[in-house]
Amino acid sequence: MISIRTKKGYKLNIAGEPSHELEQLGKPTSVALLPERIPFVKPRLKVKVADQVKVGSPVFEDKRNPDLVFLSPGGGRITKIDFGPRRVIKEIVVELDQDEGYETFPIFNEAQVENIERQMLVKAIMTGGLWPLFRELPFRDIAAPDSIPPSIIVSLDANEPFQPMPEVYLKGKIELFEFGIKILQKLSEKLFISTSQNRSFILDQLNSYVTHICERVYPADDPGVLLYHIKKSFDENRAWYISGQDVLLLAMLFKTGKYPVERTVVIGGTLVRGKKHLLTRIGAPLSHLTKGRTDKTEKARYIVGGIFKGYKGGKDSYMGFYEKSLVLIPEGGEKEFLGFARPGFNKPSRSRAFLSFLNTSAFPMHCNCHGEERACINCGFCAQVCPVDILPQFTYKCILVDEIEEAIDHGLLDCVECGLCTYVCPSKLELCNVMKNTKKACYLEQL
Amino acid sequence: MKFLKKIFDSKRKHFAQGGRFEKLHPIFEATETFFFIPGIVTKNDAHVRDSLDLKRLMSMVIIALIPPLFFGIYNTGFQSNIASGLPVTFIAVSLKGLRIVLPVIIVSYVVGFLWEILFASIRKHSISEGFLVTGLLFPLTLPPTIPLWQVALGISFGVVIGKELFGGTGRNFLNPALTGRAFLFFAYPIKMTGETVWTVVSNVNSSGVDTFSGATPLAVSAVQGTASFIESLLAKAGFTFPKLFFGLYPGSIGGTSTLMCLIGACLLIFTGIASYRIMIGGVLGVLVAAYPGYIMSLVSGNSTVPMLALYPLYHLVMGGFAFGITYMATDPVSAPGMNAAKWIYGFAIGFLTVLIRIFNPAFPEGVMLAILFMNLFSPLLDYFEIHFRLKKRVPNV
Ligand code: SF4
Ligand code: SF4
Repeated sequence: MISIRTKKGYKLNIAGEPSHELEQLGKPTSVALLPERIPFVKPRLKVKVADQVKVGSPVFEDKRNPDLVFLSPGGGRITKIDFGPRRVIKEIVVELDQDEGYETFPIFNEAQVENIERQMLVKAIMTGGLWPLFRELPFRDIAAPDSIPPSIIVSLDANEPFQPMPEVYLKGKIELFEFGIKILQKLSEKLFISTSQNRSFILDQLNSYVTHICERVYPADDPGVLLYHIKKSFDENRAWYISGQDVLLLAMLFKTGKYPVERTVVIGGTLVRGKKHLLTRIGAPLSHLTKGRTDKTEKARYIVGGIFKGYKGGKDSYMGFYEKSLVLIPEGGEKEFLGFARPGFNKPSRSRAFLSFLNTSAFPMHCNCHGEERACINCGFCAQVCPVDILPQFTYKCILVDEIEEAIDHGLLDCVECGLCTYVCPSKLELCNVMKNTKKACYLEQL
Repeated sequence: MKFLKKIFDSKRKHFAQGGRFEKLHPIFEATETFFFIPGIVTKNDAHVRDSLDLKRLMSMVIIALIPPLFFGIYNTGFQSNIASGLPVTFIAVSLKGLRIVLPVIIVSYVVGFLWEILFASIRKHSISEGFLVTGLLFPLTLPPTIPLWQVALGISFGVVIGKELFGGTGRNFLNPALTGRAFLFFAYPIKMTGETVWTVVSNVNSSGVDTFSGATPLAVSAVQGTASFIESLLAKAGFTFPKLFFGLYPGSIGGTSTLMCLIGACLLIFTGIASYRIMIGGVLGVLVAAYPGYIMSLVSGNSTVPMLALYPLYHLVMGGFAFGITYMATDPVSAPGMNAAKWIYGFAIGFLTVLIRIFNPAFPEGVMLAILFMNLFSPLLDYFEIHFRLKKRVPNV
């Protein structure tokens, strides 16, 4: 086991942390697929409204590679296909039947996995609809099925507020996870599994698999950060990653021969009562998760996928294919009288410019920017937190003057899109967003 | 505060696009955001943001400037009353100091703000908080006898040439306050140097005037001689080391007290707003530059170059070095952004300060020139360090 020291990053002390308790939720009335939230995909529909689907029926495929299919997480009737501007498919809603039908897929046992050809294995995962779980660094597109990655990275840690704890989703499923590891080992010779020092459960149970110990600071658990710290040459850049929980899905597909839809998600944030882990299914409605847990008094922002990296979800939208976290915090938006002159005992800040540095309790936070956008003053705070040693202020300026080559030399593609630079910037610049969009543009140009 | 909010809400339309005072929108906005942190919410990730913004950051610098400011007011009054033979009670001295210093500060702020507003209206951006600091830093570097029209001229030069010409706060490469100060120094040397500018002598009917000598410690020590000789000269003029450290002697309004700057520096370093690397680097630079000469003059017994024989620690407490390295050199916009570059930058400022004092006593305020000079080099320092760093990166293309 190799210890990785991350000197940078940041531990956000935000209130509303979910407990480790796991509650099994009942069956929702509908589930959905959100093609819009799957990166770079060009969906071609294979169903239309009023079609009947089973769990595991193909719903759409990727025009770039028709073998890449996305399967229905529920059995029932397609009730709605929601198009956004420019015919982006936002939502495909499946109203669930009482008794859902299941498509069947081939079952493999461990010996079979051991002996199967890699190509066949890839094919089985593709038809089983789980290939999109593999993502490729640095652009985070779905991995190319016909390529062999330099390594596959699995992170068994959760440092972004708030993500499901590996102790919770792996409880009682260690064997299943080990089976999943077998599958991954078949796909790549190098498999990196990281966790942090104080996850004693993981260190006990999966000791022989864990290769790296990372620090417990956001975003040390990100596969991109791990890769940045361990890579020795440029041909290691295109590593794949898959989230710890999704390894279980792979294993379940092969063990049961059914498209697995079980998902452990967390619900947290100060506007939620009973913050905990929930056992539900892929594509569950947000309202299903929040039922009975929210007060309607304050205007809440629904953040799907984590405080830093997640997106703003509509109240009546659904969990995406990748997202495992739902956080409700106040939208904010009130003006604050003489805010800059207050002692700021409960104003969270990484700097010590507020008296809050005396206050070690977790802070309730809202979505206020706390200031207006200004020109960069070169304070260097962003560089102090960037986990992959980018100098965001300089890279940002390169991008602004369209020196993309130079930005890439600065390490733009190593950016893990963690959002910390944006978080700390006193000039309130959207640094991370600019990086992200530039990366995306670079990628689309390469294709 | 509800009341204030209503006023702003009712007047907003006049300043909006198409309103009667559209051109003055930056003023409206600046005033409103002074009273209220705007309720802008995040559009995308990261969904939450740090509470620190530029207003708070600049406020912290202002707070750090309060010790030298208050002390400066007291000291200005004190020196003036002593020289004029007036009573030196705390109240009398403070009032006198206020009477001298306040107009300077007000002129600096008002004139500077007019320029800021003008540029903000033309460029259609909002007024940057950076000026709050510039507007206070600038007067503190001036001699108390400065005519107000020169204050206005200096701050205009600083804001327009030192900053706005390059695109405003964040894009300037010189420290605007220092640019203004240097301009005055070169344009009106008589008003900026010499023995009489450091103290306001207010009436002439008293006997105090006769005994008054306005020489600054820098001027006193710019003589040839041995270390003990210079020290005794300084002591004779009333400048013992503790006195220089505490700062109760004639000098620029805010720059005499090393102690006060030290307090400000601690606050700035603690809050993480100013770089300790620059400050410590500066102190090291002074010592490294001053010690060899000092030792040489000790060995040879006498020195032909003035100031060489001065005990090096004196350099730290004389002539606005402490003020410059704490508040001016650490201005993040004109300083380098990289860590090693900051050490070098600070060190070079300290080093150059001493060199200028030794080799060109005509420019006693060496620290000012040293900082401006190093401002020019900070992009280069950054460039080299970044270049070096990027070479160590595993490329990702
Ligand atoms: S540049 Fe910003 S978003 Fe990218 S890794 Fe660094 S801190 Fe995170
Ligand atoms: S944190 Fe913001 S203001 Fe500071 S250097 Fe980075 S981009 Fe510039």
